[in-house]
Amino acid sequence: MLKKSALLLSSLLISSSLSAHTLWVVPSHYVLSKPDSWIAVDASAANMTFVPDKGIGLNALKLYLPDGSVKPVTDAYQGKRKSMADVQLGGDGTYRIELANPLRFFTSYELNGERKRLMANKQERAAQLPQGATKVETVQIRSRNFAYVTVNGPTDTVIKVRGEGLELSSTTHPADAVAGEALAFVFNLDGKPQAGVKGVLSYAGELYRNEAGRIDFETTADGSFSFTPEHAGRYLIEASYSADSATALADKVRESVTYTFEVALP
Amino acid sequence: MRLTSAILVVCFSAILASGVKASQHEITVQLPEIETSQYHRPYVAVWVEDAQQQPVRLIALWVEKPDWLKDLRRFWRKIGRSNTALVDAVSGATQKPGTYSLKWDGNDDHGQPLAAGQYQLLVEAAREQGGRSLVKHEFILPAKGAVIEIAADGELGDITARLL
Repeated sequence: MLKKSALLLSSLLISSSLSAHTLWVVPSHYVLSKPDSWIAVDASAANMTFVPDKGIGLNALKLYLPDGSVKPVTDAYQGKRKSMADVQLGGDGTYRIELANPLRFFTSYELNGERKRLMANKQERAAQLPQGATKVETVQIRSRNFAYVTVNGPTDTVIKVRGEGLELSSTTHPADAVAGEALAFVFNLDGKPQAGVKGVLSYAGELYRNEAGRIDFETTADGSFSFTPEHAGRYLIEASYSADSATALADKVRESVTYTFEVALP
Repeated sequence: MRLTSAILVVCFSAILASGVKASQHEITVQLPEIETSQYHRPYVAVWVEDAQQQPVRLIALWVEKPDWLKDLRRFWRKIGRSNTALVDAVSGATQKPGTYSLKWDGNDDHGQPLAAGQYQLLVEAAREQGGRSLVKHEFILPAKGAVIEIAADGELGDITARLL
């Protein structure tokens, strides 16, 4: 029991110490012209876009094949600054590399004027809350961090919206993003376009320029966000959405995504 | 004198022989000498796109390993990644620096003559441990003897297209 609570505590500490960081997944190649190629996938939680800061566990890293089937990634190393996985792709088509945590539930409460947290959903919390706990609220949290890699001809199976949680789709196929051409992204919550999703767009090289060039955005009524990338290079979109949608397990839902992609030379 | 006329006859009959086929546009592509310790021959693609920037004819493709085809960025997006059969049919070995003459019969990839209208000629080159260059020039069909000249740029030397 002691061990379990220590584990819980440490996971809380980790999540809070990383809360200011953005977790991203970056493949060594977004576009390949040879089947069965290997790629390296880097993942880190960092403040500066694509400057690694803290390595993260890759147990949940998955590869979605062009036919939609899923393969766990097993060749992974967690480093201090970043983590890396070796991933071998197969035949033609678009792959999705995703690090997604399963749904987690946090219940926060106030006791003697102090704010506290425990890992429990709405049904579990009654047994765990101390006597006298007030302002009890349970939040369901989910995060998805992903990127697409395309071998030869692009395909659509793994880029389709699955209809669960916060998802991001693009009207332009990820393999067709080109500098100087407009890109439109649509954010869906449970399969429906969601207005009011807030996010930040950034691109590589912030360490070597004074103006980071980040764009803060909020999705419009049709759930979309558009911009025209000026430069070829690697980009990051991070976005999140909180909703007061009470379910049997939670009072609130908080969803977040990070998505990395490549903008090619014209 | 007799030798000259013999050569003339040969030349003339060669023109007649090619004249039996459809007329040929001629595109001259130069690959510059590049002084560097690690020189690899560039990958080069020459193709035509229509007014909607859709590829209509792949004229030449000089490549070696499939690994690096993607580095001809625009060619890869427009043609290479999704038309393996065409790539296999057209591709030839990489070339050393020099001047190369390419013939184009004015047809599209399916052997059909291109309709009158606006097009552009594109030439892209990418060199391992070197740079990448993309040049393009618009033209109109029927070309009525138009000559396109594109100045040397990075991995590509001067390019001249004599259209019929």
